[in-house]
Amino acid sequence: MSDASASSTETTRIVIGIDLGTTNSLAAVRAGKTPRVLRDLDADPLTPSMVCLHPDGRTLVGAEAKALRLEHPERTVFSVKRLIGRSASECHSDVVNLPYQVIAGERDLPRIKIGDLELSPEAISAMVLKHIKATAELALGHSVREVVVTVPAWFDDAQRQATKDAAALAGLECLRILNEPTAAALAYGLDGNNDGTVLVYDLGGGTFDVSILRIKDGIFRVLATKGDTHLGGDDFDQLLAQRILNLLPSKKGSEDPYVLQAVLSAAEGLKMRLSEHDEATLELDLGDHGEVQLTVTRAEFEAAIAPLVQRTLDCVKSAARDAGLELSQIDDIVLVGGSTRVPLVRNRLEALTGKPPHTEIDPDQAVALGAAIQADILAGNDKSLLLLDVIPLSLGIETLGGTVQKLILRNSTIPTSVSEEFSTGVDDQTTVELAIYQGERELSKDCRLLGEFKLRGIPPLPAGLPRVLVTFLVDADGVLRVTAREQRTGIEASIQIVPTFGLTRDEVRRMMIESIEHAQDDYIAREEIEARAKAEAMVRGTKKALQIAELPPDQTFAVHKAVKALQKLLDADAEPNALKSASDDLTKVTTTIADDVISAAVTKALKEEQQQ
Amino acid sequence: MFNVPAPDAFAVFGVSRTLDLDEQELEMHYLKLSRECHPDHNRAQTTDDCAAVLQRSAEINDAWNILRDPWRRARALLEAESAGVLERNKKLDPMFLMAALELAEEVAFAESDRQAALTDKLQAAIDSDFTALQKDVNNGDFDAAAKRVHQSHYHLKALHDLEAKS
Repeated sequence: MSDASASSTETTRIVIGIDLGTTNSLAAVRAGKTPRVLRDLDADPLTPSMVCLHPDGRTLVGAEAKALRLEHPERTVFSVKRLIGRSASECHSDVVNLPYQVIAGERDLPRIKIGDLELSPEAISAMVLKHIKATAELALGHSVREVVVTVPAWFDDAQRQATKDAAALAGLECLRILNEPTAAALAYGLDGNNDGTVLVYDLGGGTFDVSILRIKDGIFRVLATKGDTHLGGDDFDQLLAQRILNLLPSKKGSEDPYVLQAVLSAAEGLKMRLSEHDEATLELDLGDHGEVQLTVTRAEFEAAIAPLVQRTLDCVKSAARDAGLELSQIDDIVLVGGSTRVPLVRNRLEALTGKPPHTEIDPDQAVALGAAIQADILAGNDKSLLLLDVIPLSLGIETLGGTVQKLILRNSTIPTSVSEEFSTGVDDQTTVELAIYQGERELSKDCRLLGEFKLRGIPPLPAGLPRVLVTFLVDADGVLRVTAREQRTGIEASIQIVPTFGLTRDEVRRMMIESIEHAQDDYIAREEIEARAKAEAMVRGTKKALQIAELPPDQTFAVHKAVKALQKLLDADAEPNALKSASDDLTKVTTTIADDVISAAVTKALKEEQQQ
Repeated sequence: MFNVPAPDAFAVFGVSRTLDLDEQELEMHYLKLSRECHPDHNRAQTTDDCAAVLQRSAEINDAWNILRDPWRRARALLEAESAGVLERNKKLDPMFLMAALELAEEVAFAESDRQAALTDKLQAAIDSDFTALQKDVNNGDFDAAAKRVHQSHYHLKALHDLEAKS
């Protein structure tokens, strides 16, 4: 590549890193050496990965959505990361305790049903990403288009592709799908004094990953990775939630989304308190469903979660084996993910590895900070660092008898490729179908069918004569690309891909077009609602103020007139521009009035209104 | 479906075609090549260039996986020196196969107190396989070398099975 991009006249390209988590999401950027989290003023840097589709038509994301989850549990969506890139039947065990409704849509794909709306997990993730994008743009002061998005290392091809689709739907160009533990290692090893072998233990809300890396001279090379996409802090919450539900006088409570959400929130709080204290008490008033009083000791909690923690430790051992290392050969242990705050997790890991884990970097932020570093590398701003990651699960194709022949083995450094030659079985056959599987098992029924590839345009020749060279290449995102060429004629065979999970290319395209069209509708709808809400508040506020303030009759009359005009427009469902200008008129009248008496009173009344 | 041989790993790395590669030097060389060729440091403008960068990077990673493993390195070397040599020499001496069968049984029924001794025995067999292989390669006897590679497979598998037991 030429050096033109490095010329001093060109402004530095900014690519941001986004940690799209099961429970929380956040963005970070690196300008200079140290990455920083992009936050909304003083707000909490963590944005809850929640979306509330309010009955009034608004879509609220993040903290605003979380605030509404008790009020509108069946319309507040969270933990979609557990659904993305999977089939509805696979998700079954994950959705039983969710307060919102998940149904099986077309091709058995999970759809979130809210009122008449049916949304894909990709669409919900796109809303979260859009919100993160807006927050980042506010913090940076300029627009953002290119991003690096992190996923659990254990995500398979379908889950990675679905995450890329979500970014595209949010209007973002995803330069890289980055593995979360790798990102954390990058954030941890940045100061250059950490060359050696590092084990990253990442226990988030919904997923668990462990990766072993070798860091040397700025090159971060993943040796092995292992994980479980269905193991995380949410499971700890569920165990506590089940205890609370069992105490309810009536079993009906667990079917009520309001009760379920309240219990889940209470369980999460209980878990957090048990990380700090030896005992925690809960008093929960569930109205008609009764009251719950419960004291849990840390020992009880630890006994309940011990089997889950043991599962993570088994993964750690297995990753070390795959890396060809003894646990004693690991130099450092890095903790990532909010659930690593649970003392039992830390203690057991330390007992297993014999080393105290590092906790210098905030476990909630390490992944986003690392993603920002990789984003900076991809922007071309740092050539001293390089990541070499691996594919977590083997890829293969189905052969006769339903067995899977492995083409690419797990823990192979990516990009990686392999070529195979295929021929035809009958004369003049012009298509060949290949089924691609991901997983470690021998039989195709035990692996995940990623999709079916149909090679078309093979020249009609006697059986066995065509020689179709198919190249399977796993790119740096860990996503499979397939190309095919007929060797005798040199004809590029076209490939039609039917993914088993997630969206087809056509669906992504259609949704992107719709989202652009809807963006305009959404904007108008929101403007209408906001103009109306503001006008209503002003009418109420001014009326209140008039009762408090003592004004000369002529001024009282002017204010009354302006209020009446606005009220009339509100009653007539006037369009937002008319409401806005009448609201402005009212503001003018009230602010110019003698000694700002009324204006002060209006402000005060409005404030009270907002606080209520 | 036919396996298409991977590109000559020695040529991809630009190293001489020998079994005696210094593993540390090889690793340094791999990291250097990765720095030069990885798509993260070579953002291509066009789709075609992008594919070429990816393909090159994949070749380097795949060559590294072959070269760092002595046995895979040997297979690549033999295939590069004499195409089809491994396929031609698949037929092994019946005496050797008998011995290999007995070894597999010994592994399958080994009590835990015998495992350490058996591991040492297998490791010694593998080491001696490799020494003999090196000698054959140096003498230019690729057919004999190919037979050694096939024989070693039985020892490697026995060792693998034994490790899986513990």
